[in-house]
Amino acid sequence: MQPRLRHAIAVSALAISAATAAQAQDVVNVVCVVEEWCEALREPFFEETGIRMEFLNLRTNESLVRIRAEASNPTFDVFYGGTGDPHFVAAGEGVTEPYESPMMAELSEDMLNAVNGAYLPLYANPIAIVVNPAVLEEAGAPMPESWEDLTDPAFRGLIGMADPNSSGTAYTVIATLVQIFGEEEAFELLAGMHQNMATYTRSGSGSLQPTGQGELGVAIIFMSSALREREAGLPIEIIIPSEGTGYEISGISLVANGPNPEGARTFIDYALSAEAQDLGTQAGSWQIKANVNAAPAPGGPRLDEIAVIDYDFEHFGQPDVQTGLIARWTEEIFPVPR
Amino acid sequence: MADLAQTPPRSLSRAIPLGAVPVWSGIALLLFLALPLIRTGRRFLPLDYMLHPLSLGAGLHWAPAVAAFAVIALYLRPAPRPAQARRRADMAAVILSLGFVGLWAALFSAGTPFGWGAMGASLALCIAAGSALSESNRVRGDAFTGAGILLTLLFVTLFITYPLVMVIRSAVWIEGVLTLDQFRATFSSSLFLFVDNRFTEVNEARMVAYWATAGGAVALAWGLWSSRAAALWRRAWMVPLWVGAGLIAGWAVGIMIWGRGALPSTLLVAVIVAPAATMLGFALALLGQRTNSRAVRGILGVASVLPFITPPFVIGFSMIFLLGRRGLLSHDILGISPFANPLYGAPGVILAQVLGLAPVAYLIIRGSLNSLNPALEEAAQTLGASRWRVFKDVTWPLVRPGIAASLLLASIESIADFGTPLVLGGDRNFLATEVFLALTGRYSQSEASVYGVVLLFLVVLVFIASRWMLGVKGFATVTGKPASGAFLALPRSLEWILLSLAGLWFAFILSLYGVIVYGSVVELWGINNTLTFRHYIEFWNTGWPVVWYTMKLSVASAIPAMMVGGLIAYLVTRHRFWGRSYLEFGSLLSFATPGTVMGLAYILAFNDGTLLMTSTSAIIVLALVFRNMPVAIRASMSGLAQIDRSLEEASATLKAGSGTTLVRVLSPLLLYPLLAGLIFAFVSAMTAVSQVIFLVSAGNNLATVMLLARVERGQLGVAAAMATVLIVMLLALIVLLLVASRYLDARNRGKGLSI
Repeated sequence: MQPRLRHAIAVSALAISAATAAQAQDVVNVVCVVEEWCEALREPFFEETGIRMEFLNLRTNESLVRIRAEASNPTFDVFYGGTGDPHFVAAGEGVTEPYESPMMAELSEDMLNAVNGAYLPLYANPIAIVVNPAVLEEAGAPMPESWEDLTDPAFRGLIGMADPNSSGTAYTVIATLVQIFGEEEAFELLAGMHQNMATYTRSGSGSLQPTGQGELGVAIIFMSSALREREAGLPIEIIIPSEGTGYEISGISLVANGPNPEGARTFIDYALSAEAQDLGTQAGSWQIKANVNAAPAPGGPRLDEIAVIDYDFEHFGQPDVQTGLIARWTEEIFPVPR
Repeated sequence: MADLAQTPPRSLSRAIPLGAVPVWSGIALLLFLALPLIRTGRRFLPLDYMLHPLSLGAGLHWAPAVAAFAVIALYLRPAPRPAQARRRADMAAVILSLGFVGLWAALFSAGTPFGWGAMGASLALCIAAGSALSESNRVRGDAFTGAGILLTLLFVTLFITYPLVMVIRSAVWIEGVLTLDQFRATFSSSLFLFVDNRFTEVNEARMVAYWATAGGAVALAWGLWSSRAAALWRRAWMVPLWVGAGLIAGWAVGIMIWGRGALPSTLLVAVIVAPAATMLGFALALLGQRTNSRAVRGILGVASVLPFITPPFVIGFSMIFLLGRRGLLSHDILGISPFANPLYGAPGVILAQVLGLAPVAYLIIRGSLNSLNPALEEAAQTLGASRWRVFKDVTWPLVRPGIAASLLLASIESIADFGTPLVLGGDRNFLATEVFLALTGRYSQSEASVYGVVLLFLVVLVFIASRWMLGVKGFATVTGKPASGAFLALPRSLEWILLSLAGLWFAFILSLYGVIVYGSVVELWGINNTLTFRHYIEFWNTGWPVVWYTMKLSVASAIPAMMVGGLIAYLVTRHRFWGRSYLEFGSLLSFATPGTVMGLAYILAFNDGTLLMTSTSAIIVLALVFRNMPVAIRASMSGLAQIDRSLEEASATLKAGSGTTLVRVLSPLLLYPLLAGLIFAFVSAMTAVSQVIFLVSAGNNLATVMLLARVERGQLGVAAAMATVLIVMLLALIVLLLVASRYLDARNRGKGLSI
């Protein structure tokens, strides 16, 4: 009886997992970070290819954790969106595999070079200085043109930025400054900006709305949401600092050994098409799209129109570099009374 | 009672056994055979018969079918003697639980999500096993009681205890290793607690140490002084306890003043908000009870309902409109410079929370004031006591339990509050928001769990402290016999002070709500003040489907919350059984646990494997049911306490089972408590944010979560329109129900059915 019981357990486990695997081949399973965008792609993708796209909305790092955990028996085919770092890590660990998409001919060469084949670029989003001119005028501050300008005491109490301990946006700002000025000078600059800070927000774009409402004069944030809100009528201006600015490149990756690799490739090709990228803009993702034929967001620039720095994604994406810089900021800048 | 149910002649006369045990075993068998056993993905529908047990082949997952079949076979043989019947029931209980365990062992070893078949069969097996337990006299009561006990124990364990255990597990069990690393990392992080700032002239760490020493010294002195009468040497072992508690209290005060970070911010706000809200509530309650003006009473009644129907962060959000850097009052009227506005941070959070919690305090204290017999005050005055003396020696001791309850509730709510700090916190961070930001901003489940554990610990600490320090007994002075006399009127000057306080408070609340309505009809708040209905049109297109969906889910969660709550209240008050205090404790826990922690717990418990339920509407409904159930429990328990047991005994004598008694005798008498539980559950489901913010998904968005997202994204006009619609709808619903209940009440009185 005993061996048979054990056998029975094994059989039932097998039977159940076999039934799970027996799901249809005409489905692509996507781990999706940008929910509205994926939702917008689902119907058109089905109409064009006859393949159903199912997605699970997870946050960037959760997605990585999920794909990593399932590496031996993946249930997902594609990892879509989110910041670039986890795509780099996934490619390094081999849980995603490189894919030479035919659509690469249509993608921005700068973005392709920056990610260096680790994944396929989906969009780029630069850091920008967003200002409310009326507030600056009232406070007697000039229009800032560079990162240096933000240390001018005229901006005292006017600037809002995210807290790097709670948001990746602020880390991108710190990494950008370190790459432009070198670490020592960058931290002097950050110390100067600290004196002008009105608030460190909890979320990345938390200072945008207060700036539009005239509560703050300057917000340091990713550009896409500022573009969208400017179009919605906020009286803001978007400034790219003269020293250049950093950016993030979001990506799309093919999961290694996924259940439906053919469908996954079809989906990736589709997602990188100008048509699919335009759907993203319509769904409210106003970043600079990787496909050069995609229409730019209303009022939005192309990547080659703005002074972006040669951002070293590989180095500054490493967790220990990241923790080190944030720790230094927390030690040396955050506690200084202002 | 048990003997009555087992009168031998009846069971002998039947050839086919139709007791609860075989019937429910049969139902388990049917459900098992009729439905797909498992799911392949998250979705519960449509039914996929590829996953029927038959198509899954042979295996351990057939255990429930075998068990159910065996039990039916067992019951085909008559058991004429009570001893035999008891032995048979014992065997049935063992077989059924083996079937239950077998099924879940098979599912867990395969790791596939459970399906309708597994769920239905398991519930039916539970009911059958519970009935068997009562038949074998292991549980005193009939089949209904046994099944109810087993089911509620299962629910509380699965949906309250287990998820919370998962939070603790996730905090200490990281990548397969038991470690305190995450605790160490979090506690040393500047987000949690930051004391020694080397850039300031003051040495904060030393100041905190002074405070701690002072606290310890004061505690020691107080301990010695208070036990001077007792033989001191007998209480010597308590000295380290006093000193320890004093040190901790002093340290806590120290970090509140000198420290920064989530822990001191949360403590500081709670320490200020709880007494402030309670005092305001007490003042309003005194006024409401003793004023002669009907208008004042009416206004207090309406205003005290408002916070319940307002999504928790909306007050904070309208305070930005009113008092923010460009606020209507602060900037446009008072002319405070936008760059010197102190709203963001502790002041704003404290103000918003006091406003939100004062009505809660009002309701609690008003309740305990009302339970005071006016004759006592009159008697004291007749005996020549001054007004102050009457208040100090008669009124105060009698309302003290209400004050204590209000302090307890206000501090727990303040610690757990998530929306207000998110909107008004500014530079300050708070424990409840840190749970959210750790999970959604820093993507660290273990860090979020550590914050969750700290929050749980604080809440439990508040409970224990309030029991220990304010462990006053309630005095019932209203006996049901007609009370004579009237409450002492307030002194003229005091009444005027209270009236102007209430007037100020009400004017402020009114302008807060007015600002929301105004914000919903202007083009772009503060920038373009042209009137428009654009936001309402956009709300109708994008927001209304979500609101409608939220209403459906709220109804779907309110009804089970009421039923499970009523059932638990009935079992706990009317029966003695193993696990009774666990049931009570579990429901208290689900009430006290901060919403973000519960949401995190559900994600950790139900995100994969056999119990996979995230990204479905089921998990949202479950979270809301078990979150809102405790109020139904409390309401039903106090209702049950007023119903004499002789009614149930009469019903039992007439051979009604306890299920029938509960439905036909008790429920009509409990109509109001149950209805109150239902309304509360519905309204809090409609306004819930913190417990569901992690659980919403693409097709399952909820109104308040959408509202918060819009506030965060800065679509203030649409957000204001949505908030207005929600508030007006819920207010209309409450008014409608009040009117309906008056009408029903009048009709019942007419029939002489008054309770």
